[in-house]
Amino acid sequence: MVTLALRTLRHRTGGFLATFAATFLGATILMAFGSLLDTAAAGVDPATEETLTLVASVAGGWCLLIVAFAVASTLTLAVRQRDREMALLRSIGATPGQVGRMIVVEAVVVAFVAVVVAIPAGFGLGRLLFRLLVETEQVGAGVAHRFGFIAVGIGVGVTVLGALLATLVTTRRIARLAAHQALVADEPQRMGWKRVTLGWLLVAAGANCGLLTVLLFSDAGSDAMQTAGQASIYASAGLALLSPVLIRGVTAVLAVPLTRFGGASGYLTVANLRRRSQQMAGALMPIILFTGISLGTLVMQSVENRATDDGGTIPASMERNIETLNLVVVGMLALFAAIMLVNTLVAAITYRRREFGQQRLTGATPGQVRRMVGAESAVLAVTGVLFGSLASLATIVPYTIARTDRLVPDAPALIWPAIAGVAVVLTMAASIGTARRALRTPATEAVGLTA
Amino acid sequence: MDAREALRLDSVRKVYGTADNSVTALDGVTLRLPTGTFTAIMGPSGSGKSTLLQCAAGLDRPTEGTVAIAGQPIPKGSEAAVTRFRRDRIGFVFQQFNLLPTLTALENVTLPLRLAGRRIDKKRCAGLLAQVGLGDRMQHRPAQLSGGQQQRVAIARALASAPALIFADEPTGALDTRSAREVLALLATAVREQGQTVVMVTHDPAAAAYADKVIFLADGRVVGELARPTADAVAERMTHLADEAARRALVGV
Repeated sequence: MVTLALRTLRHRTGGFLATFAATFLGATILMAFGSLLDTAAAGVDPATEETLTLVASVAGGWCLLIVAFAVASTLTLAVRQRDREMALLRSIGATPGQVGRMIVVEAVVVAFVAVVVAIPAGFGLGRLLFRLLVETEQVGAGVAHRFGFIAVGIGVGVTVLGALLATLVTTRRIARLAAHQALVADEPQRMGWKRVTLGWLLVAAGANCGLLTVLLFSDAGSDAMQTAGQASIYASAGLALLSPVLIRGVTAVLAVPLTRFGGASGYLTVANLRRRSQQMAGALMPIILFTGISLGTLVMQSVENRATDDGGTIPASMERNIETLNLVVVGMLALFAAIMLVNTLVAAITYRRREFGQQRLTGATPGQVRRMVGAESAVLAVTGVLFGSLASLATIVPYTIARTDRLVPDAPALIWPAIAGVAVVLTMAASIGTARRALRTPATEAVGLTA
Repeated sequence: MDAREALRLDSVRKVYGTADNSVTALDGVTLRLPTGTFTAIMGPSGSGKSTLLQCAAGLDRPTEGTVAIAGQPIPKGSEAAVTRFRRDRIGFVFQQFNLLPTLTALENVTLPLRLAGRRIDKKRCAGLLAQVGLGDRMQHRPAQLSGGQQQRVAIARALASAPALIFADEPTGALDTRSAREVLALLATAVREQGQTVVMVTHDPAAAAYADKVIFLADGRVVGELARPTADAVAERMTHLADEAARRALVGV
């Protein structure tokens, strides 16, 4: 099975691109923050050490959560798409354990290669981050950047372990299916209670952070960011976990207009959203994370900037540092979420080539298939932006109250449309572009009818 | 053009590949199949029977020659144009059923009408499912049905748009003997009792025996016909064709 795993890797390298991209980027970001800890551990003045440790653990901590999340969801998707292959292996006599080992070996090898390639990238990004801290005078000028065991350890440990855990969990699901069942495997439609509980716990944690911001940090200046900044990250991650429920809810509302005005395409869209909410959730998660985190942090930052301006105080270097840091972290997370989004959509839609072929053989024109995909991704984008914005309120409202004693933030009106626009354009472009490419295969070939 | 001719092929040729490395899959096939008939197309593997079906059904484009369904030539336009032509005139039954996994049995049956923007007569579609013996399975999804049941849904779907012609591509290839017999009997009934026209590609002599006529294909050409076939007669003819093909391959012609 190990041999088969390595063969598969060699001959179907393209199939592992998504896993590779997620682990590579994740490891790069984690190593960059890890290198700050390396630098702090190398014997620097106490103030520098405190700053570096704080930045690495707070900002790096968030990245860790998101990276683990993203690597796990990419791998889950990648394994799920190979149900047929697994079923085939099972039907020719592979034991569940053997299939499981094959998947795990593949994932760990890909993750390991990605992490090794990520070392120079993590070094570069870490240096960049460090320079930002030096330029904003948070770190003494004489301190040299170091990239050592902590950086590599965290990068390798988290991504490879994350990949290992994610595949172990996914393969357990496959092992439970009997071979004949696996061939016709239908997605379970109910979410596990663990996922629901974790989702709600994270949403509650977000709300709690928001509440603490108002109660503890009112009139405490930018200190309120400590709790407010986390609130939208927790809330976004929680809502992302609850994605299947959100999709079913939104679909229930949109079902009537979609079928009435969307024709056959709208009808198929509703059927897919309803009966495949688990798979659709894979694409919804990064949209919620992207919107929630970037919106929360950017609005919080502009509220802070306005408050400082209104107070007539010249922003101290500390405030400028925090601003830089906020922007860097948001930039990284947003980039990561955007790549995840495109990754997931391309994989999910390429996988549906056969389904598109079946629809075309049943009488769907390529245009009807494209409109179906378009309507689906529009629903996903709108749902993601809606709940992402909701999650961002967990940061925005408490911070605005704490900092300005008002309810509505005084922030540039353009932030929301800009972020929502990026989310919608990315989602639509990735799905429709991939669908277009998938439709280039003749329908007969897509369903495996060959002359 | 005669509208009572459900299918008409005129010197259809299909060549795959490039100029210096080409394979002639169909070498000038001319066929006329009247409405209300059940025809089986047989031939050794590589004889071009799948290509014939795909060209005749508008799923593939012939290199030369014309194909007409119910007196109307298949348009040469975009995939959308051909699809619109096809969904109004042709029903399909495939070896792998090709039902959409997210739709129930009844929704699968109504889908072609929906895609064509035609009025959906739910009662009639439900009636078709009852007719194929699935009156109590209408709300089941494909994964909850056996292979034989899925193929019966596919037959009801093919009948739903009242097409001029139904193409069946190895419809019993993935089924056990009993389900296969049920499926073939349903196709035969559609022809005899409702005046449907069915063209079936198969390699199974027992399946071909359900047809009114068998057309034999070898090396991309029609090489014979057998009216009112029996399984034994078809099997004998097939053995003969296979021997001939082997002999020709040996001489290298």
